[in-house]
Amino acid sequence: MSSTRRHLGVVAAAVMALSLVAACGSDDDPAADGGNGQQDDGDGGGDEQVTISVSNLPPATESATREAFLARVEEFEAANPNITIEPSEYEWDVTTFAAQLAGGTLPTTFEFPFTDGQAMIERGQLADITAEVQELPYADAFNPSVLEVAQDDSGAVFAVPTAAYGMGLHYNRAMFEQAGLDPDAPPTSWAEVREYADAIAEATGQAGFSQMSQNNTGGWILTTLTYALGGRMEEGSGDDVTATLDNDGTRQALELLRQMRWEDDAMGDNFLFDWGTINQAFAAGQVGMYIGGSDVYNSLVTENSIDPNAYGLTVLPLEGDDAGVLGGGTIVGVRPDASEAERDAAVKWIDFFYMSKLTQQDAALADAEALVATDAPLGTPALPIFGAEQLAESDAWVADLVNVPLEQMMPFKESILDQPLVPEPPVRAQDLYAELDAVVQAVLTDENADIDALLETANGNVSSLVEAG
Amino acid sequence: MSDTVKDDVRVTAPAPAAPAPAGPGRPRRPAADAGAERGILSGFDWGRAGTRWGMRVAQGLVLVLLAVASLGPLLWLARASVSTTQDTLRTPMAFWPSGLDWANLSTAWNQAQISHYFTNTVWVALGSWCVQLLIATTGGYVLAVLRPRYAPVVTAAVLATLFIPGVVVLVPLFLTVLDLPVVNASLLNTYWAVWLPAGANAFNVLLVKRFMDGLPRDVYEAARMDGAGPFRMLWSVALPMSKPILGVVSIFAFLNAWKDFLWPQIVLPEPTLQPLSVRLPLIRDTVELDVFLAALLISMALPIVIFLVFQRLFLRGAGLGGAVKG
Amino acid sequence: MNATIRWVRGGGLSTLLLLLPLLLVFSYFAWFPIGRAVVMSFQETNLVTDPAWVGLDNFRRVLEDPLFWTSVRNTLYFTGLALLFGYPVPLLLAVVMSELRRGKGLYSALAYLPVVVPPVVAVLLWRFFYDASQTGVFNTIFGWIGLGPFAWIQDASTAMPSLVLQATWANAGATVLIYLAALTGVRGDLYDAAEVDGAGLWRKIWHVTLPQLRGVLLITLILQVIATFQVFTEPYLMTNGGPQNATVTVLLQIYNYAFRFGDFGAATALSVLLALFLAAMSAVYFRLTRSWSTT
Repeated sequence: MSSTRRHLGVVAAAVMALSLVAACGSDDDPAADGGNGQQDDGDGGGDEQVTISVSNLPPATESATREAFLARVEEFEAANPNITIEPSEYEWDVTTFAAQLAGGTLPTTFEFPFTDGQAMIERGQLADITAEVQELPYADAFNPSVLEVAQDDSGAVFAVPTAAYGMGLHYNRAMFEQAGLDPDAPPTSWAEVREYADAIAEATGQAGFSQMSQNNTGGWILTTLTYALGGRMEEGSGDDVTATLDNDGTRQALELLRQMRWEDDAMGDNFLFDWGTINQAFAAGQVGMYIGGSDVYNSLVTENSIDPNAYGLTVLPLEGDDAGVLGGGTIVGVRPDASEAERDAAVKWIDFFYMSKLTQQDAALADAEALVATDAPLGTPALPIFGAEQLAESDAWVADLVNVPLEQMMPFKESILDQPLVPEPPVRAQDLYAELDAVVQAVLTDENADIDALLETANGNVSSLVEAG
Repeated sequence: MSDTVKDDVRVTAPAPAAPAPAGPGRPRRPAADAGAERGILSGFDWGRAGTRWGMRVAQGLVLVLLAVASLGPLLWLARASVSTTQDTLRTPMAFWPSGLDWANLSTAWNQAQISHYFTNTVWVALGSWCVQLLIATTGGYVLAVLRPRYAPVVTAAVLATLFIPGVVVLVPLFLTVLDLPVVNASLLNTYWAVWLPAGANAFNVLLVKRFMDGLPRDVYEAARMDGAGPFRMLWSVALPMSKPILGVVSIFAFLNAWKDFLWPQIVLPEPTLQPLSVRLPLIRDTVELDVFLAALLISMALPIVIFLVFQRLFLRGAGLGGAVKG
Repeated sequence: MNATIRWVRGGGLSTLLLLLPLLLVFSYFAWFPIGRAVVMSFQETNLVTDPAWVGLDNFRRVLEDPLFWTSVRNTLYFTGLALLFGYPVPLLLAVVMSELRRGKGLYSALAYLPVVVPPVVAVLLWRFFYDASQTGVFNTIFGWIGLGPFAWIQDASTAMPSLVLQATWANAGATVLIYLAALTGVRGDLYDAAEVDGAGLWRKIWHVTLPQLRGVLLITLILQVIATFQVFTEPYLMTNGGPQNATVTVLLQIYNYAFRFGDFGAATALSVLLALFLAAMSAVYFRLTRSWSTT
């Protein structure tokens, strides 16, 4: 599953802007006729032969996980003799998605990040699978605030959330020790984060704290920081959303970065990081602390060969009245031109491949065993797709098999469920992130950057986009 | 300098598109050979010790400069690709403080699957070369030798594409590849999407056409008297005589395909099909630095070997860009 | 009927067959897309639904984008710097090399070597050289003579010069060879004549060499402008437009419109604008090559 994880992040970085004039997009929305699916309700369509392609087959380099994937495919085909699965190595990528869709090379089902769900729904790039999802036994059990990322305004469902994470603070325990800090007592306020960063930079000569800044990750992490300091990037809902980039939370966040960068010189020398490069730098011991999704550990292991002993994870300090933590995750959707039978088969596959390990003990154990057998990480803290109790239950099923240093992630795991989860900015999130990339870069590379002026300009630019829809 | 165009976008841009009548036999060195043997300095100048030594020092300096600037980075890469990551990061200019690490190369080749992408790149380059050669020779031959009545129109239309920079067609070309008009096929994720557009290279066509224009026409007349048809004449008369220019076209076709980045990245989203150029930036995040540097070294090895082997062709071809005189 | 048979007998059919590959490939991949570009710049499309006519909306959106003038400015800056770095140095090298009596091949091969390195490899390698820490490759070297450390691509003011330096390294060799080819074409009797007039080395270069190279110099200038206006790989892989949009070029902007934001209309509109400018440059180029090739 490493490839999936990787995508989560790349994705977070990615941009899916609404390039279309709103009218054009909604008029021709192919999803609008998705509702026809109702005619074939019940268990119907079951005997028709159908072939679907599915995404995220691990590449041949990861032979063990690939075989495990293929074994699951066989198992599924045995249980559903009328469905043939064609596994594909396709991984969702914003730069090629529209093209693959138009070119007909997109698999029937594919994973993508929370961040891009709304834009894809609005552009009619996903099939309406409300009817099929309603058939699932746990259809009503979804955590509503999670399912929301896969729904349009009317509540129709376009995808199934399969994994969720909250943002956290990752830190290098070895560097903490070098700096004389207690790795079991990570910072609990932003003032402490700054203090620790300074100490680490002082002691190790590396960056005490680093921050992503490219490919929309700069805006993504700045939004995370803003939420943690009680600010919001957009206010209002429905048609009445306004951009509020120049809020106090964002100002404080940038001021914090400015101090760490220029007053303390605690952020090292490289500031053009994106998701992949910051992970690599962290795994290589060049970064003391950084903010990222709580599931990043999985790809730090599979892609960057991090030393597990050096890894630590804690929650972000929340300060201010309305502070909260930004959430994210993976959703699985179906291509918009899929036939009814294909949609039906696709949701069966999603249920079998992604959901059963969350909802059934047998499947959870089988999946966990397969992961552990291939040395893939198991047990990285996640957020509940359904409810907190259900998550605790499914965690307990596989507790004995966990192979990640869970102890070192306890500061996160113990507190994350108490932190209020705040969704991403509802309108034009990716354009907003792109705009803020430049702001973050300015603060990190220009000692005299005028934070107020930068935010005012950025807010003006984003406002006109938000007003346009 | 014009190579920037080629690297980034397929060339329809006026790359080194000098209308160089690099005719057969003795190209380029123009007629006035009488005094061409000498340079700026006269024999008398060379006889003066001061000038002579001044020039030698200048030439020595230039040699050192070229060696450091051109070879330096490449040698550094060769060194780094057999160093450990920590050595490269901490002491980038030291020589193997913790010893050689030959394993990088094999790790890159096998585990990071550079071998696979290397093969892909060879396919991309060979196919582009075939298509470009086919189009350039048949097209150049028809336009220069057979000269049907509509030839000037076609020539003008081909020439016109030189005026249109490659970037302007980037998006429409991409949409064309997604859904070929008339046949309604999608070339996305097939090598044809790289090979065929590479063939629409006006520079190649015009280069071959100009060369064949310069071939003596009586040879064709003689062949025609012997009853040779257009195909025979192409195969046994025009092609053998055009070897020099075909060599130049071949070498640049292959090399440019190897260097191409933007276009294959757009039309080959499937990772298993991608060539090295597209793959390298993506694997940077997932492999260790020493292995990545080894992968870079492997990726430039073949072009450099080809360059060293076919040096003369390269240097002749590169000069064509400015061969506007004569 | 007769005419057709005569046409076939006369080789008309085989001629057409031989030309067919060229006609097909150029129709599909050059002529048709060029026309389509113009059409698309007035349309809105998401690739899935039918395109809609939107008049000049795409152009308006492109021109009103705050990044438009940034990208134009950056591209001009890149071009200017590229000329500053990449114009005089190759000329100087070529002049010295042209006076070589032996080893010209070695010099040429060395000069041309970076040109054959795939740009992606070169850019990724140089990105590593530009590591801004004390132990970065360039910072280590400059450290020996007590300079730096420099921020290179991590600072808005030095990012673009860093990109240009890399691009010059990668491309200067080709320019050197062009000049070298041109220098061998300078007629020796002109030097003889200048010497009769008592001209020294510098005067010979100034009054004979440079005027003789005038054509080539102008042409490489224009080629360089055309090429640098399409620069993509360097800013895309080295800085991706950053820091603070200091390296967003026009082509990067086109790429982002199309492949990052899915706005194919704006991408083609900007392409068409760029094409108009470059076509004008190309026209100048062709006029020049024609007039110089006849002298």
